[in-house]
Amino acid sequence: MKTTQAGQKKKAGRWRDSPLPWLLPLGIILTFVFLYPVFEIVRFSFTNASLMDTDYEYTIGSFLRLVQLPGFYQMLTVTGIFVFASVFFQLFFGFLIALIIDRGQQLKMRGTVAVRTAVLTAWAIPGVIIGIIWRIMYNETESGIFNHFVSLFGMDTMPFLSDPQMALFAVTLANIWRGTAFSMILLYAGIQTLPKDVMEAAKIDGASAFQRLTKVMLPMLAPIILINLIIISIDTFNTFDMVMALTGGGPGQSTEVIALSIYTSIFREFNLGHGAATAVVLLIINVGMTLVYLKILGKREER
Amino acid sequence: MKKTVIGTIGGGALLFLAACGGNGTSGEGDVDLDWLTTPSYSPQATNEEEADYISGKIAEFEEEFPDVNINMDLQSTDIDEAMSRLLEQANTGRAPDVAAIDGFYFQRFIDYLQPLDELFEEYDMDIDDFLPFAQDVIKGEDGQIYGLYMNTDTRVLFYNTEVVEEPPATWDEAIELSLDIQEDGYSGLLFPGGRGEGTAVTTLWPLFWAQGGELVDEDGNPSFGEGENREKMLNVLSQIDTAVQSGATPQRVSSYGGENDLNEEIAGGSAAMFLGGNWQLSFMRETLGEDFENWDVAPLPQIEENQFATSAGGWAWGIFAEEEDKQEAAFDLITRLFISEQGMSEWINVHGGLPSRESVYESEYFEGDEFSDVFREYLEDANVRPASPRYNEISNQMQIAVSEVISGSKTPEEALDDAWSVVNED
Repeated sequence: MKTTQAGQKKKAGRWRDSPLPWLLPLGIILTFVFLYPVFEIVRFSFTNASLMDTDYEYTIGSFLRLVQLPGFYQMLTVTGIFVFASVFFQLFFGFLIALIIDRGQQLKMRGTVAVRTAVLTAWAIPGVIIGIIWRIMYNETESGIFNHFVSLFGMDTMPFLSDPQMALFAVTLANIWRGTAFSMILLYAGIQTLPKDVMEAAKIDGASAFQRLTKVMLPMLAPIILINLIIISIDTFNTFDMVMALTGGGPGQSTEVIALSIYTSIFREFNLGHGAATAVVLLIINVGMTLVYLKILGKREER
Repeated sequence: MKKTVIGTIGGGALLFLAACGGNGTSGEGDVDLDWLTTPSYSPQATNEEEADYISGKIAEFEEEFPDVNINMDLQSTDIDEAMSRLLEQANTGRAPDVAAIDGFYFQRFIDYLQPLDELFEEYDMDIDDFLPFAQDVIKGEDGQIYGLYMNTDTRVLFYNTEVVEEPPATWDEAIELSLDIQEDGYSGLLFPGGRGEGTAVTTLWPLFWAQGGELVDEDGNPSFGEGENREKMLNVLSQIDTAVQSGATPQRVSSYGGENDLNEEIAGGSAAMFLGGNWQLSFMRETLGEDFENWDVAPLPQIEENQFATSAGGWAWGIFAEEEDKQEAAFDLITRLFISEQGMSEWINVHGGLPSRESVYESEYFEGDEFSDVFREYLEDANVRPASPRYNEISNQMQIAVSEVISGSKTPEEALDDAWSVVNED
């Protein structure tokens, strides 16, 4: 019977079993909206193109100029600190809030949905608006919200946005606030899928709350934590709207993350070649990170 | 109708495509006029009075020119982006018939624009009636007129006469005065000192120009960091550094990139002396109430006494259309809206800003205010930013430099040398 069915399928034509008709539309769309722009970015990165002139030459000058700039390594460091701190604390607070909400629900406490919605609001607000909101909070006169509280304690106003180190801290804090909700929702969904019997079994076996968290819950949540890590890392690397509204990259270049630097090069200085070269650096970082995460994730799944 | 697929950036990927569309026609013999404007100079302006004014004038125009169909297209509100896109359209022969162009970009468009001398004559307009800086902007090297300069703006020192009796003429005087008034609980000298164009045009360039400094050479290449210009720019950064180091100016100005960033402090009542733009008067009038009467304006303080410089801004209209009927329709439309004595007066009455034509200050239609004549006087000797394609890079790098100096992360020399090395790294 099996042989006859296979024969019939073969006769029905190759197309029926081929995934090609299903993949082709997606392939075409991806080529035009993803691969083509990426190709163009890479191509422009090897030119001295400007938005002000249609003529350009092919050169590796944009890359050479990029690494020789006084601010290049500062930009990488600033981005590194911004991304690492954002991702770490977004995950940490996201997990904490998810646990609290889960526990609240188990105890049938009221208001867990309200808390979830309130936290999610931060994620739903556009980055530019978040930048403006935090700018108002960081206002360095005594009428600023944070500085008002500082002055209540008789301290001098804090230079949240005008001191280079403090400004980076301020921008990172605003980004942690912004991104925590996303991690919370993902991890909360993950916690909901955990088998209750395993957790209960651990409890009956005498595992302490900390042991249940580290030995049972976290290992089971690992795949979702990894996916969360990939998404928020790439998201944070690509953040520029909030930073632009909050500090514009300043003072100096103390908060100029890579994505903002690309925007500035292309749309402020019209230097398409230089901006594209910077974008390629960001692309390499993002692709590299995704590959590393995927490899770790793949290994875990194999196990 | 023209459509532009805007280049977008995000996620490390850039889409940079420009798609073109054809002109729509709506009947034989009709003229289609492609009018590219900014949202605030269109019937879609957010201010109702402005929107009504423009709609009303367009209705008048359509009555007089029944065979002209206006195809309005709006530019991005991001000026740099809008101008680069328009230049790209002009480069590839797809420019609209008439467009709003930021004044300091104007010279870069002149090769693509049509001379308007005959139409000036036909409409009985005199180029010499325009303020000197506006003439420099709209006149080509060949002496012909290529644009219609609309309303303008300028930068001044605002001061509260209750606190500051005599406005400081120099920065040293301003520093001394600032230290005094801080004892009474006022902020010292405030100005935009962060990353933003306001810092360049209000704080940096007037101090540099007043010493005779040149940002670019005759070929449009950067010159601010070499020879005498370097000394002059260093004077500017050092003077600002002294103001901050002495405590006369708070460090927080390094987070103010635009003049309007100072508004919160002005509204809070702690500001007594600041460098800003004339348009801030309407904000002050609204928020300060009766206290507004105590405020006055003076020329920007300089490094030395008897120096003077200020910046002028504003937009001009250029006509790209080659067909005569389109040129005339475009000229009539723009003149009626923003340039004629009546048009410019009425437009400024609802929009704010300052006339770029001398005669408008005297016009029966122009309402003006108690400061109009003072601003007019300053505008006589105002400077505009150079039209060099390298300007934006220079401006951005100097904004970085001054905010580094103010925030204390670099000395004036280090900041200037770094800015100079970046613009010369090509």
